[in-house]
Amino acid sequence: MTNNYLTHRLVLIAVGLSTLALTACSGGVGGDQPDAVDDGPIRIGMLAPLTGSESVYGAYLRNGAQMAVDEINQQGGLLGRTVELVVEDDGCDAQMATAGATKLVSAGVQLAVGGYCSGSTLPTEQIFYDNGIPQVITAANGSQLIEAGLDSVFLVNGLATQQAQSAVKFAQKQAAQAIFTVDDGDAYPKGLTDAFAEYATGVGLNIVAHEQINKAEKDFGAVATDIVGRGADLVFCTAYVQPCALLNQQARQYGFAGDFLIGDGAVDAQFADLTGAAYVDRVYGTFTQTPDMLVGADSWLAEYQAKFKAEPGPYTTQAYDGVRVMAEGVRLAGSTDRAAVAQAIHGLNGFELFSGPATFTDQGVLADSSFVIVVLKEGKFVLYDDLKS
Amino acid sequence: MIQVIVNGLSVGAFYALVALGYSMVYGIIKLLNFAHGDIYMLGAYVGFVVLGALTSWLSLPTALGLVLVTLVTMALTGGAGVLLERVAYRPIRHAPRLSLLITAVGLSFALEYGVRQIFGPQPSHFPVQIDAGSVHLFGATITIARIVVILVAAGLMVVLALFVAKTRQGRAMRAIALDAKAARLMGIDVDRTISLVFFIGSALAGAAGVLAGAVYGTIDFLMGFIIGIKAFTAAVIGGIGNLYGAMLGGVALGLLESFGVAWLGGQWRDVFSFLCLILFLTFRPTGILGGRVQERM
Repeated sequence: MTNNYLTHRLVLIAVGLSTLALTACSGGVGGDQPDAVDDGPIRIGMLAPLTGSESVYGAYLRNGAQMAVDEINQQGGLLGRTVELVVEDDGCDAQMATAGATKLVSAGVQLAVGGYCSGSTLPTEQIFYDNGIPQVITAANGSQLIEAGLDSVFLVNGLATQQAQSAVKFAQKQAAQAIFTVDDGDAYPKGLTDAFAEYATGVGLNIVAHEQINKAEKDFGAVATDIVGRGADLVFCTAYVQPCALLNQQARQYGFAGDFLIGDGAVDAQFADLTGAAYVDRVYGTFTQTPDMLVGADSWLAEYQAKFKAEPGPYTTQAYDGVRVMAEGVRLAGSTDRAAVAQAIHGLNGFELFSGPATFTDQGVLADSSFVIVVLKEGKFVLYDDLKS
Repeated sequence: MIQVIVNGLSVGAFYALVALGYSMVYGIIKLLNFAHGDIYMLGAYVGFVVLGALTSWLSLPTALGLVLVTLVTMALTGGAGVLLERVAYRPIRHAPRLSLLITAVGLSFALEYGVRQIFGPQPSHFPVQIDAGSVHLFGATITIARIVVILVAAGLMVVLALFVAKTRQGRAMRAIALDAKAARLMGIDVDRTISLVFFIGSALAGAAGVLAGAVYGTIDFLMGFIIGIKAFTAAVIGGIGNLYGAMLGGVALGLLESFGVAWLGGQWRDVFSFLCLILFLTFRPTGILGGRVQERM
């Protein structure tokens, strides 16, 4: 519905703006083309949801990327040039993302890093590709993102399919008898529950039902009733933080006492607050490691806090890593040319990231994704099981 | 079965409270106030602030505190509704209908992103939550919070119905809904009465907002959008412009959704309830009560 919400209103606005645009166009066509001079700053374009229902994550992405950009500039820049981050809002909406990507292209960005929602990141891939811009996707990780087979698109977050396998491992370890899956119908959450269902059925786990909730709502009493009614002992919720937190609260109010597993989109320090103190037991998540789980990230954390007066959140590290992967590619390639940078990133072997050493497959995803199981403890998600054994 | 009905009634109670404001405003000045859902959101945030202030000044028992907060919030959001009408709608009341509609959409944006600017995009945690456990009735688990919602909504609606039916101000509203010009000639202060309608409608939405915060425990700046659309639907099902229609429509939509999930699954809920809306509009376009009751409000 969020997308519909934007769509409905955008139609209204578009009618008004088109009048303005008609007059503006006469001046714009054939006007300024961005100068392709080699001594200006290297511009990295970022698309992130700064408005809309996922706007809380936009700031995490932007700040994480800014950390990396500042760090690169302190170390003397890239190819002798400074690096500049240009952020556009994608509102987690395909149409806004398309407009944002086009705007970044016309602003003369040479590299693209970013993307939170898979549904809105998908249409930007072709735009960047066609304009000779390599792209590192920071948070979005729907399997659809690699289906186009573009050789200069890389994902620094593990794929939904990799995450689904971790979730299945967890369900097996917990000896779940009746699994209930819930998503919000968006591309990524749906891809995750679909992949989960496929692997889970493959290893003989029993999925009793699958439900879809509307992420803009607050009352999931009907689904909560169903969870209890079907006697589920493990719920896998792949929607974002607020709907999953509310579903956990309402299901437990109705008597659900099993494990509540959430996808990486919902693993957020806010979860405990949103779900309520009485319902924080047996809440688990599949997630890649965050700064506070890592050893030796203290100075990074301190610098982040000093710079942004805020705590880093989910995907801050992926955004930081995304910029670093891109910069490393440019450094090795010696230029910002799409094909050369893509080749250089494909050639990376064990480049050190927060999530571990990175090597990319031919499809542009991390060969070794490091999804772990986290558990909600004293209001925070902490490492529960690294699934290595 | 009883579980499904109670789930539907508690969701329907929210829809009905918000639908009333839609319907009253439409009844009196033929305006689809699309910013009305955001008044509900504003109510939740006003309640959030008032509750924060109140708990730091006085220490009241939770229940009493919530009642007080709801009343203060109703007064404040009611005032906000009056202000919106005065600033945004009154100057263009006689402009083409489309201008009013666009203004309403603009106001909705302004409220949403204004609140986002102040409180941030992340959902806020409501400091007090009605979480008194649940009762078991005929095999159904019913949380106390849901019972509170249904009772509060019913109480507010009874008061409103009495007000419109029995008082001079209520009669003035009905008169303006019938014929604003004639009402003015009879000496009714039309502007003041329209302000009153906005006050009451916004106060009800504000109460629903506080209830939502207290029941679900989280509020966010976009929470008014969906409920605005649903409440509008409820108002249409009931017969827009008709008070009892809005109440009936809200409850009907809540039940439709609840049964839709129970029968067809969550992904079909909105399909099912909006399909019912379409069927309804095809066979009875004036809504449940729209045709029979000639007099609006």
